Amino acid sequence: MDDVAERALDEAAVAGASYADCRVVVRTVQTVEVKNGRVARVALHDDEGVGVRVIVGGAWGFAGLDRVDARGAEDAVRRAVRIARAGARLRSAPVRLAPLPPATGEYRTAVAVDPFAVSLERKIEVLLAADAAMARVPRVTVRDSSLEFVREHRLFASSEGARLEQTIVESGGGMDATATSDDEVQTRSHPNSFGRHQLCAGWEAIEEMALPDHAERIAGEAAALLTADPCPAGRMTLILDGTQAALQVHESCGHPTELDRVLGDEAAFAGTSFLMPELLGSFRYGSEAVTIVADATSPRGLGTFGWDDEGVPAERTVLVDRGLFTGYMSSRETAALFDRESSGTMRADGWSRLPLIRMTNINLEPGGSSLEEMIATTEHGVYLETNRSWSIDDRRLNFQFGCQNGWEIRDGRRVRLVRNPLYSGTTPEFWRSCDAVAGPDEWRMWGVVNCGKGEPIQVMHVGHGAAPCRFRDVRVGPA
Amino acid sequence: MLRHSADECLALADAVLAAVPDGEAEVLVTEDDLALTRFARNTVHQNVAETGLSLRLRLVAAGRVGVAELRGGGADAIERLVRNAEEARRLAPAQDDLAPLAEPDGGDGPCGWSDATAGATPEQRAEGVATVIAAAAARGLEAFGAYSTRATQRAVVNSRGVRRHGRVTAAGLSAVVRGDEGAGYADRHAVDAGDLDPAAAADEVIETAERNQGARPADPGEYEVVLAPYAVRELVAHLSHIGFSALAVQERRSFMRAGERLMSPGVGIRDDAADPLARPFPFDHEGVSTRRVTCIEQGVCRDVVYDTPTALHDGVASTGHALPQPNTIGPWATHLVMDPGTARVPELVAGVRRGLYVTRFWYVRVVHPLRTVITGMTREGTFLIEDGRLGAAVRDLRFTQSIVEALSRVLGISDERRLELGEDGSAVLVPWVRLEGFRFTS
Repeated sequence: MDDVAERALDEAAVAGASYADCRVVVRTVQTVEVKNGRVARVALHDDEGVGVRVIVGGAWGFAGLDRVDARGAEDAVRRAVRIARAGARLRSAPVRLAPLPPATGEYRTAVAVDPFAVSLERKIEVLLAADAAMARVPRVTVRDSSLEFVREHRLFASSEGARLEQTIVESGGGMDATATSDDEVQTRSHPNSFGRHQLCAGWEAIEEMALPDHAERIAGEAAALLTADPCPAGRMTLILDGTQAALQVHESCGHPTELDRVLGDEAAFAGTSFLMPELLGSFRYGSEAVTIVADATSPRGLGTFGWDDEGVPAERTVLVDRGLFTGYMSSRETAALFDRESSGTMRADGWSRLPLIRMTNINLEPGGSSLEEMIATTEHGVYLETNRSWSIDDRRLNFQFGCQNGWEIRDGRRVRLVRNPLYSGTTPEFWRSCDAVAGPDEWRMWGVVNCGKGEPIQVMHVGHGAAPCRFRDVRVGPA
Repeated sequence: MLRHSADECLALADAVLAAVPDGEAEVLVTEDDLALTRFARNTVHQNVAETGLSLRLRLVAAGRVGVAELRGGGADAIERLVRNAEEARRLAPAQDDLAPLAEPDGGDGPCGWSDATAGATPEQRAEGVATVIAAAAARGLEAFGAYSTRATQRAVVNSRGVRRHGRVTAAGLSAVVRGDEGAGYADRHAVDAGDLDPAAAADEVIETAERNQGARPADPGEYEVVLAPYAVRELVAHLSHIGFSALAVQERRSFMRAGERLMSPGVGIRDDAADPLARPFPFDHEGVSTRRVTCIEQGVCRDVVYDTPTALHDGVASTGHALPQPNTIGPWATHLVMDPGTARVPELVAGVRRGLYVTRFWYVRVVHPLRTVITGMTREGTFLIEDGRLGAAVRDLRFTQSIVEALSRVLGISDERRLELGEDGSAVLVPWVRLEGFRFTS
């Protein structure tokens, strides 16, 4: 791999690139899926290739090729250089990069038990046990559970002298129980929706999920939701569980603090942001209870690494400090526009795609409350669990989320299960209404594995540390 | 440019099949070459290309299935692929009701292929981008978007005699043009990059952008609407995802009730992989010929799409809509075609006394699958229609609306259609549609 990267950089220099970097990525993904008592899929996916990024004539060019050898490196460089030259005549100003001392080193995800060393039999056994437990509940018509393990070797080399090797390991798992009637479909998931919860961790993360232990519970909840009352409608207090709080952070703080969106790089696709630079340091984004950070050093987060895909060391950036908007995620190119250093958030979806500003671990810092205390001090409201639908406008202001499960709260107590809950609002008003966040005991790192951005679309795995939190005077209703 | 010929792809699949020690096998070879020039603020800011060939092997023996997939991998790729698939198969539990591999069906059909698109150069993409940027800059506006060209080929070979190859190209140009107080959107998709017509796209997006300045808020509520194809694609694609799959019906999560009229008589939606306007491709990931499936006919629910496992369940033949097997997603409609109407687009607008014209929806998600309720936002061009004329720009609104209910109140459908793409890249051929009511919630 080292030889391939060196070959690419040599070739780029000869071709006249003022800057070049090369990433060699070898990724292995193992998937095991059980559906309705059957092993639906056992699959191993290997993917390897080289991605080369160059600046020629002041313009970027990128090419990815599925050949990890000298020929592949040369071909990728030639294509990247031609692409850069073609775009150079449409550049209004040459690309400028924030300075970065070239780093060398290695990084490996800390794992207690290598998930690829655990037998396939054991993995199937866990899923079949969970499936059998879900099957004990009548009216549950679809049972789905899965595990996924990722190992990715990344080599990064730049014409500035950086030489970095990283091995990232992810372990993910989850299950869904779906109950149906003539007029309803209700799904409950554990530990999270979107198919699975995932961490940069080993097999121990799967053991912690205790899928079989939670299977009958979620199946029972799915069945109960079929006949539950509709969610009450009106403005009321809203309490979110940690998984939904994580997604709320993702959509309404993570994306709008990506500096490329702010500058318009995503204007035609993923959208822009309401958090414009003139608001930095003065805009009241949320209440005093709200502190949100981008932290690529958080243990076990899916956005945890040694260096980003530009070779910038993992960093922690405060995006919102006790309610005040204070920071962005940036790249070397976007940071240079503000004469700053990159915050180290450039990430690429494998070798074939260009690094973009992506979330690392966007964490809502823990507060001093607890879920039970929040419920006990709520006169009327709802407690919502696990995302079901999510939508937000292209500036990240107007949102509407649906959850799988809801509990109506009256006079400090959960009084009834409610179905099809929705809540909606506008980002700053919503976060300003946050009056409590649960403490470190209930704070957990969650993994989102379906974050899409960029053209061609890139799907990124990102982390979100979050705990249950409470909001006042929120618009709530049934779907 | 694709690096392998059709014969080379088939030979590669044959070589994998020959390396399988025993049992049945299916080999999928997919080669993809994609290039995309992206622009923002009237300058090119991202310019990329990628080429890759992937091999996928499904091994079936003694009631056990194993799958391995590999992209890249060098000289020992086939050996590794077979070893990985065999390992997965050996450890999978035996099952007595596995769906069989597909049999040859003698089918054939057109491929949406263009040599011009497959051979498009970065200079050609830059030329198209320059057209949009120059037009926007001349009006004092800023352009953002992407120009892409893609060539894909797929070979499927299995031990029952299926041996097929097909190839398809796609070219796309999307553009947002922004002024100080608003933006417009337009896109074009075609098999042949020569059909994109960047100048026409630029004219359209600039006209929308200039009209969409200084938008004023509109009250939430139900409005009569005219939806542009960029918005209609969201309705049709989500309707398909929610309910046009046999698996969704079997799992009781589809709205489809065969023979029942749920929509207006003018509504017809089918999956037609042979429609020349819908980027045709003749077979699915099992190598089964893709048949035309009429899902909605004159507003009445008809058929759904099948792959081999769901067809086996219902005792029917696959319609050729399989994703790579095995999977838990089920069959997928990838060439959605909505019937045109008879109205000219201006006539649709002219018929509205008071309503909204919606250019585009954004971030559309399913809120309630059985009731086909979706939510999303309008984006880059929402206008009042007053007394049959496009009027003032309106700030973006959130809608929460049942698709079936909306399509049960159709007042007009245009005779013109556009090729659009779903979020998964599927072809969606759709007209402009006038609806009696559409619910905006905030």
